[in-house]
Amino acid sequence: MTTKPILAKAKAAVYAEVLLKTAPDPNSIFELASQFDQLLKTVRGSAELALTLANQHLAARERRAIAHEVFIHLRPELLAVFEVMVERGDLDVLARAHAQFERRAEQALGVVIIDVTTVVPLDERLRSLIIKKYASQLGSGVRLREHVDPGLAGGIILSLHGRRIDASVVSQLQSARSVLIRP
Amino acid sequence: MKARLMRITVAFSLLLVLLLALPTLAFASEETEGTGIGIELFIPKPGEFFPMLVGFVVLWAILAKFGWPALTGMIDKRTQSIKESLEQAENAKIQGQQLLDEQKAELAEAKKQAAEIIAQSKQTAEAVKAEITAQAQHEAEAITSRARQAIDVEKQAAIAELQGFVADFSVAVAQKVIGSDLSDTEHRRIIERYVSEAGDFGDN
Repeated sequence: MTTKPILAKAKAAVYAEVLLKTAPDPNSIFELASQFDQLLKTVRGSAELALTLANQHLAARERRAIAHEVFIHLRPELLAVFEVMVERGDLDVLARAHAQFERRAEQALGVVIIDVTTVVPLDERLRSLIIKKYASQLGSGVRLREHVDPGLAGGIILSLHGRRIDASVVSQLQSARSVLIRP
Repeated sequence: MKARLMRITVAFSLLLVLLLALPTLAFASEETEGTGIGIELFIPKPGEFFPMLVGFVVLWAILAKFGWPALTGMIDKRTQSIKESLEQAENAKIQGQQLLDEQKAELAEAKKQAAEIIAQSKQTAEAVKAEITAQAQHEAEAITSRARQAIDVEKQAAIAELQGFVADFSVAVAQKVIGSDLSDTEHRRIIERYVSEAGDFGDN
C-alpha cells in the first residue's frame, strides 16, 4: 500500500506514461482516456469491488484475475495496466493515474477534454457550438466526451479538470425547491 | 397560764374554806330555834373542820408541788404542740398559697406561650401556603409556556415538513413533465440556450 504522497505521485505518473505510450494513435488516446474515466467511475461506484481488488489477503494472481473478468471489455492496453496496478496493490493511485493520464493525453492531443452530460445525444450543431465557445475561452482545441443521463431532465452539465458548469434542469429545480422551503 | 391557774386554784380554795367556816356563824341562830338537825348536816363540826382543813392544805400542797406542775407542764406541752401545729398549718397554708400563686403564674405564662406559638404557627402556615401557591402558579405558568413553545416548534416543524413535501412534489412533477413531455428537438433547444448562457470554467 502506497503511503507517501510523493511516491504515490511518482507511481501514478509511471502508470499514466506507460498507458500513453501503449496508445497507437491519437484516437486511441482519446478512447483510452474515455475508458479510463469510465473505469475510475466504476471502481468508485462499487465499494465491494474496490475492497476486493485491494484486499491483501487475496493472492495477487487472484486479484488480477478478478480485475480481468470485470473489465474485460476495456481496451487491452488499459486492462493490462490496470491488472498490474491491482496485482501490485496500487489501487489507491488509480485516481492520480487517471488525472495524470488525462493531462498527458490532452497534451499529446493538443486539446482539452470536456465532459458533457445531456439528456439527449448531442447533434453536430450543438457539438460545434460547445467546442467553439470553449475553444476560444480556453485558447486550446477542445474535444468533447459525451454522456447521456435522462436524470438531468434537461439542460447540460460540463466538467473540465474537476471544475463543473451545471446548467441542468434538475439542479435548477433543486434551487427552486430550496427557495420554496425557505422559512 | 401557769400563774393564772395558780391564782384560780388559790382563790377557789379560800372560797371553799370560807364557805365551810361561815355557815357555822350564819345558821347558828337556827340551831336554837328548831331542833337543829337539818342544817347541821351541812355545817362541819370544829373538831372535824381543822383536820379537814389540814388535810386539804396538805393535799393542796402536794398538788401544788407535784400535780399542778405536771398538769401545767402537760397543758403547756399541749399548748405548745397546738401552737406549733397552728404555726405549721399557717406556714403550710402560706406556702400552699405561694405555690398556688406560682402555679397560677406558670399556668398563665404557659397559656401565653401557647397562644404565641399558635399565632406564630398560623403565621408560618399562612406564609408557607402563600409560597407554595406562588410556586405552583409559577410552575404552572412555566409548564404552559413550555407547552406553548413545544406546540410552536411542532407547528413550525409541521409547516417546514409540509413545505418540503410541497416543494418535493412540485419539483418531481416539473421534472417529470419536462423530462417526458419535451421532444429531443426541444431538449436540444434548451441545451443550446443554456450553453449560450453558461459561464466559463474559470468562473467556478
